Amino acid sequence: MRTGHYIETYSTHVKLSDSRTVWHWIGILLLILVTFPILASNYFLALAITVFIAAIGAIGLNLLTGVTGLISLGQAGFLAAGCYTTGLLITDYSWPPELALLASGVMAALLSLVVGIPSLRLKGLYLAITTMAFSFIITHFLLYAEDITHGPYGVRIENLDFLGLDLSSPAQLYYLALAITVLTAVAALNILRSRVGRAFTAIRDHDIAARMMGISLTRYKLIAFVVSSFIVGIAGGLMAFQFQFINVDLFNLLLSVEALAMIIVGGLGSVPGAILGAIFIVLLPEATREVIDLLPSGITDLLSTYIYELRGLLTGLAIIIMLRLKPHGLIGLWQDVKRYWTHWPLSV
Amino acid sequence: MDLLLNLIASGLVIGSIYGLIAVSFAIIFKTTGVLNFAQGEVMMLVAYLSWSLGNALPLPFPILILASIIVAAIVGVLTERLVIRPMIGQPIFTIVMVTIGLAATLRSGIHMIWGVDAESFESSISGGLIEIGPVVLYSEQLAAIILFFTVSATVYLFFRFTRVGVAMRATAMDETSALLMGVDVRRVSALAWAISAIISGLAGITFSIMFSRAPDIWFQGLRSFPATILGGLDSPIGSGFGGLIIGVIGELSEGYIGHGLKEISGFIVIIVVLMIKPYGLFGEKELERV
Repeated sequence: MRTGHYIETYSTHVKLSDSRTVWHWIGILLLILVTFPILASNYFLALAITVFIAAIGAIGLNLLTGVTGLISLGQAGFLAAGCYTTGLLITDYSWPPELALLASGVMAALLSLVVGIPSLRLKGLYLAITTMAFSFIITHFLLYAEDITHGPYGVRIENLDFLGLDLSSPAQLYYLALAITVLTAVAALNILRSRVGRAFTAIRDHDIAARMMGISLTRYKLIAFVVSSFIVGIAGGLMAFQFQFINVDLFNLLLSVEALAMIIVGGLGSVPGAILGAIFIVLLPEATREVIDLLPSGITDLLSTYIYELRGLLTGLAIIIMLRLKPHGLIGLWQDVKRYWTHWPLSV
Repeated sequence: MDLLLNLIASGLVIGSIYGLIAVSFAIIFKTTGVLNFAQGEVMMLVAYLSWSLGNALPLPFPILILASIIVAAIVGVLTERLVIRPMIGQPIFTIVMVTIGLAATLRSGIHMIWGVDAESFESSISGGLIEIGPVVLYSEQLAAIILFFTVSATVYLFFRFTRVGVAMRATAMDETSALLMGVDVRRVSALAWAISAIISGLAGITFSIMFSRAPDIWFQGLRSFPATILGGLDSPIGSGFGGLIIGVIGELSEGYIGHGLKEISGFIVIIVVLMIKPYGLFGEKELERV
């Protein structure tokens, strides 16, 4: 029986994972993900791309809200900023898509400074409201500044050629989204095991103590804002690639709430948690639709009329139930199961 | 000049609604430290229930309002009992997240039950035109303003002079000491939720009478955040007057600048206010500098 897992040196402690098994499973998972487009239909590919984009956004939000403890209800605003930056740069200014995608991250990061600097004086609830206000202002700007953003007409993006990939084909977009998700996850994990990541956690757990330990709150809160928004902006840029027609209506408050639901359901502060949460929240309405189809046809018709409402209802319930029963999220559940197995039959 | 006065008047009307919702935010925040993101949805639920009640039974308007107040109190207590009470002892962050989840649940639930069509809310107080100098108001608009001032005065007197009001203020100040002095803290929390559901419910009914019982009235809840931030989250009366200010600013900016500024002027105002005076005009300053 295993008695415990001992970490003896500092370098093992900060390793991404010191378990050979974990690396093997990650290799197998990546192999499955790479071969997925060969077997899957376009419907499943589109779903997988949505999951990847959601996962990137959730990892970004998690760095800010889960790790640093700064609640943001402005996710939709940053996504919109990223999405429109990519779309408009490609359509109106004929930028290459590669640069436009990068620019969407930079744009979101710059905008985050606009909210970030005033919110240095704010904590908790006030910050949640400021970020929400900010996202309303962004969508309002997008709707009314018609000369720049096409206003209510939306933006259509055509002929996307990204480093030789033709993004109008779902399989090629899938590979791009997969690559960026892996890059984001690795980057976030590396941030978390560095000085910056530990400073974030310290600020979340006790900001006054963190300051006593010599952590500059101004600096690290701003870093958290910039890094998180950069990632969210990139996710927004990918949304532009996926939809190819973008419109302000995509970026409503439900999107911000869903983003929060992802990190809560997955597990606050954990990168694999954010990915699990994204999978859960994206697939939840789809799975429900499958279940509904099995019900008697009267109920099916009734519920399919309200599919958008059902999505909101399930998201809300997921948040309430998870916080009530499993505050550590799906990743906490997984750890409990793992502990149970390794300690069996002595587990409690 | 007439335009200015009329804009100010309609600003005060919509500001009264913001103010009423902001008062309900502040009552919950002051007594329990929770910011209820579902306030707009609670208001919507009460308005819808009251509309259905009015359609089902031919009640005279005052009786309908009384019945709605009872319904609202039940809604408030049930929310507190079912959703908030089990979360006691969790960090505020978690409880606020729960209210965000509750908001999404309630909103979608209401849409599924009542559908997404707007209906008019008939009442005996609507329809009359009232002229005050150059300003022309509908009678239901004037009723909104009167309701706001009545509620504000009642809330002020309640917190200032009644035993329960003092107990609620004591709980807000220091929960443990209040408990030791014999205040039933749990009942105070339920009471705060009931009172704020009543106040925002009345705001919802008034709003529905002025416009219609529409599926997007929950958004008034979010629009009222600027009001409560401006007035100070822990000051019910301040929040209320914050609502009037935000309402007037919204109408003036729409009237003189345009571009749909009515929708977001409040949000611009709070970003500026939070930069200059983070605890609002009337809020208590926390002595903690980080």
